Amino acid sequence: MSTAPKAIAGARERYEPVIGLEVHAQLKTASKIFCCCSTRFGAPPNTQVCPVCLGLPGVLPVLNERAVRDAVMVGLAVGSKIALRSVFARKNYFYPDLPKGYQISQYDRPLCEGGSIDIRSGEGWKRIGLVRIHLEEDAGKSLHPEGRAGIHTTRVDLNRAGVPLIEIVSEPDIRSGEEATDYMARLRQILVYLDVCDGNMEEGSLRCDANVSVRPKGSTSFGTKTEIKNLNSFRFVDRAIAYEIERQIGLIESGGRVVQETLLWNSEQGVAESMRSKEEAHDYRYFPEPDLLPLDLDPAWIESVRASLPELPHALRERLVREHGIPEYDAEVLIETRSLASYYEDVAARSGQPKLASNWIMTEVNAIRNRDGLSIERFPIQADRLGALVGMIGAGSISGKIGKQVFEHMLTDPAAPDEIVKRHGLLPIDDEASLLELADEIVAANPGPAAEFRAGKEKTFGFFVGQAMKRSGGRAHPEKLQAALRAALAKQA
Amino acid sequence: MSASVHKETAEDLARSVRDGSRSASEIARAFLERTGRTSDRLGTYLHLDPESILAAATAVDDRRKSGEPLGPLAGVPVAIKDNICIRGVPTTCGSRILEAYRPPYDAHVITRLRQAGAILFGKTNCDEFAMGSSNENSAYKPVRNPWDPERVPGGSSGGSAATVAAREAPLALGSDTGGSVRQPAAFCGVVGLKPTYGSVSRYGLVAFASSLDQIGPLARSARDAALLFDSIVGRDPRDMTSRPEAKGVDLEELERGVKGIRIGIPGQFLGEGLDPEIRACLDQVRDGLAREGATELDVALPHARYAIATYYLIAPAEASSNLARYDGVRYGLRAGNGDLRGMYETTRGLGFGREVKRRILLGTYALSAGYYDAYYLRAQKVRTLIRRDFTEAFGKADVLLLPVTPTPPFRLGEKTEDPLAMYLNDIYSIPASLAGVPALSFPAGFTKSGLPIGLQLVGKPVDETTLLRVARAWEKASDAARRAPALAEAAA
Amino acid sequence: MRIDAGTVRKIAALARLRVAPEDEERYVRELQEILTYVEQLQALDVEGIEPTSTVVAGEPVPLRPDEEISSDVRDEALAAAPDREEDYFRVPRVV
Repeated sequence: MSTAPKAIAGARERYEPVIGLEVHAQLKTASKIFCCCSTRFGAPPNTQVCPVCLGLPGVLPVLNERAVRDAVMVGLAVGSKIALRSVFARKNYFYPDLPKGYQISQYDRPLCEGGSIDIRSGEGWKRIGLVRIHLEEDAGKSLHPEGRAGIHTTRVDLNRAGVPLIEIVSEPDIRSGEEATDYMARLRQILVYLDVCDGNMEEGSLRCDANVSVRPKGSTSFGTKTEIKNLNSFRFVDRAIAYEIERQIGLIESGGRVVQETLLWNSEQGVAESMRSKEEAHDYRYFPEPDLLPLDLDPAWIESVRASLPELPHALRERLVREHGIPEYDAEVLIETRSLASYYEDVAARSGQPKLASNWIMTEVNAIRNRDGLSIERFPIQADRLGALVGMIGAGSISGKIGKQVFEHMLTDPAAPDEIVKRHGLLPIDDEASLLELADEIVAANPGPAAEFRAGKEKTFGFFVGQAMKRSGGRAHPEKLQAALRAALAKQA
Repeated sequence: MSASVHKETAEDLARSVRDGSRSASEIARAFLERTGRTSDRLGTYLHLDPESILAAATAVDDRRKSGEPLGPLAGVPVAIKDNICIRGVPTTCGSRILEAYRPPYDAHVITRLRQAGAILFGKTNCDEFAMGSSNENSAYKPVRNPWDPERVPGGSSGGSAATVAAREAPLALGSDTGGSVRQPAAFCGVVGLKPTYGSVSRYGLVAFASSLDQIGPLARSARDAALLFDSIVGRDPRDMTSRPEAKGVDLEELERGVKGIRIGIPGQFLGEGLDPEIRACLDQVRDGLAREGATELDVALPHARYAIATYYLIAPAEASSNLARYDGVRYGLRAGNGDLRGMYETTRGLGFGREVKRRILLGTYALSAGYYDAYYLRAQKVRTLIRRDFTEAFGKADVLLLPVTPTPPFRLGEKTEDPLAMYLNDIYSIPASLAGVPALSFPAGFTKSGLPIGLQLVGKPVDETTLLRVARAWEKASDAARRAPALAEAAA
Repeated sequence: MRIDAGTVRKIAALARLRVAPEDEERYVRELQEILTYVEQLQALDVEGIEPTSTVVAGEPVPLRPDEEISSDVRDEALAAAPDREEDYFRVPRVV
């Protein structure tokens, strides 16, 4: 285990971390990349296997068209150059969950090269370059039953073997754990927008390895890097990178040297452990996969894929700001998913209140969604109903306070908001007669404070307003109520 | 009547089953009986199950009785090299590492043969994982040459060639990576075709060197070879390297003679080391075909002499990767106790024979960091030069004529201690493999001592027809294809 | 290239092949002989020559449509395993 000597106070400021991420994303195809087996997560062990993904003698891979299309979509979405010819290669190594003894991947001729993803950095934006995106197959799963004495075996489940992955390799443009997390979140958002990956890190649909080094600020050469594997949540990405930066600076500050090695993030102990003892120097003996021809793409086909791209997060964000005049912060929240954004647009259009609509979604709607773990698709109030409600509030026909009550009812009652208002007697009280009656009643019931008011204690007026509002269930029209109260107090003087 | 069954062509056997003059069961019994007499001596089979053979024959007979259509190979036994998968039938590739292995699926060619009505007739012995030129690398037993059991039948499809030559089966499938169909065909005096790379699906053929492997037919005549080829050729969606333009052979085409066919002879390539009797046979065939109306010309294959060096980098490199799956995890042999690493090394150390290990080591070395460019990549570039030689030669010639082997069949044990000498034996067969073009070995004549001499015809991509047509013309012009080994005659 | 026992041991380890110590010398000799033979390729000028990794030309086989088809081999495959535990393949522990 690598221990992290405490960095000398202040040393952190003298170093610049240099981080590059390699992200593996599982594509949402129905079948595996080279055979017809299902890609469903969580099936009983070794049920989604066939001669091809079991690596039986004599089988051959047949490339899944959808996997290619999905990978090209990602490449186009992040501005990569799509290779008209890319080449699959065998990466040779032995591991029990790698049935053929090699992984079919792409090596010197990947499907996509270049491109970038913009991330938040401080107050502004920062562009993170991409080296490449390539297609490959996943390995199976090795399970090592832990903690049982005398267990010296590993179990292998090959359901995942052959599931299509894309590997997205960034340039070493990232400078902190926070930037890395934001990069991951934005990459994930793009993949989900494209509907090519479910983005589920817990189920391993999105996995991240980080290459980390540090160098003295101002230096242009790179320090020795380490690779941290197994970063399967946003939190781990942030923590592991922060940990490793700290460890490397501490090492250098105490006169040591960073050793190039692969580390495994241990999330339970919050440390990165060296894998050195577990593997020898790698020599993957890559060579072109002779069972697959080079993948040649037709430029017209690539253009047809481009034409099918949905609106992407950054474009959508800019459009929401432009078309609805809402702050960039709001837009950022509302584009969480494409469906949330379209929900918003629907509510804004129906209510004619773009900012109010945004406020309601960001606060009331998201509070319920977070509480109940609901996607916007499963949120009980459809956009048309929320739009009507926000419209009523915006037009002043009900107060925000009543609006919240109506909203609560709407969560379980499928009726339209005006219907709910009527049914629950939530209509505002604004006719003078009713208000006067209410005012008279309140004044009569509180002779003491009434006397004080009449004696010139103006402050007491607030008490009457509060009482009357309470009595009306918040429905009383505020200005008209005040007028009625003053009239009632004056009347009995 | 059944006493003569083994002399008939596959074509005639199928016809007789279709027209009802013979039953498939009768044919199956006749061949089983003959095989029973010679196969132990020859070592031709690794697995033969009379019961399932007879059951398959009965099924064909039942289909005929119920009036169902019968395929072009109805009732014809076809022996299958043991590196081609048949569901539920042992498929060992001549290796200890797959000793008890039974694949859960059929190779594409097996599916096709079943559709054609063929009777799958046992798994033939071969060099381990198809690596060898003498069939002495089978982990189980060597195959002996029916013409002289002290001599090798060639390899790696030695069992397939020997069983057809000994009249144990009318047809067989082999696989050819650097000459593994053609060389044993030549040594055993039968026809052996290596189709154009991609013409026959490799799905279910246990891989040796993926960019070179092809399944091919072995038969006693060009027409029978064509019949079997026609039953297995064609694009298969499960093999992405199968060719769109792959096509079968029209038997009537084969009867058109060689008039006007331009036969190229790579004179310069046939220099050193070529046995004078084979050289003389080649001249004789050349002259004979000229008399039939073919024209002859000299062609150059300037890079063909680099073919062995090229092949012995590319094939072992691919093999080292293809054979990584034999790791004791999912099937086959597992040996060794202790940790995973020890299990891998012991399993593979015990499971693979010496030749296979040698090639895995060589291929691993050729691909390893630091040597890739000097070895593997350079070999791939030379492969391009060799392909270009063929493209140029086919600008002038329709078909090339050359030897299959530099010498007639050698004795068992003669070359086992000298791997390089064994490799050099493949000098004439490897160039066509690297170029991916079709090549055929046909019985051309005999040495004075009575050993068969096979010669090779190499054709343009997907032009198997011309190769078979020229071989057919020679069959008509000579008696080379009509002689049978004494052992087969004695068994009759 | 000179091959020695160390080279053979290194590539044997990479290929997960146990080579008996008494066989090492033989492999050194044989590999050396073959590698010396293939040295002849170094004399060829391959400048600007594209490597051949496949000889298939023409319209490629179309890619596979993304359709899920389940296979019926699972039980046979598991039954063929040298060692299994429940429905898993079992191997000595990855150290």
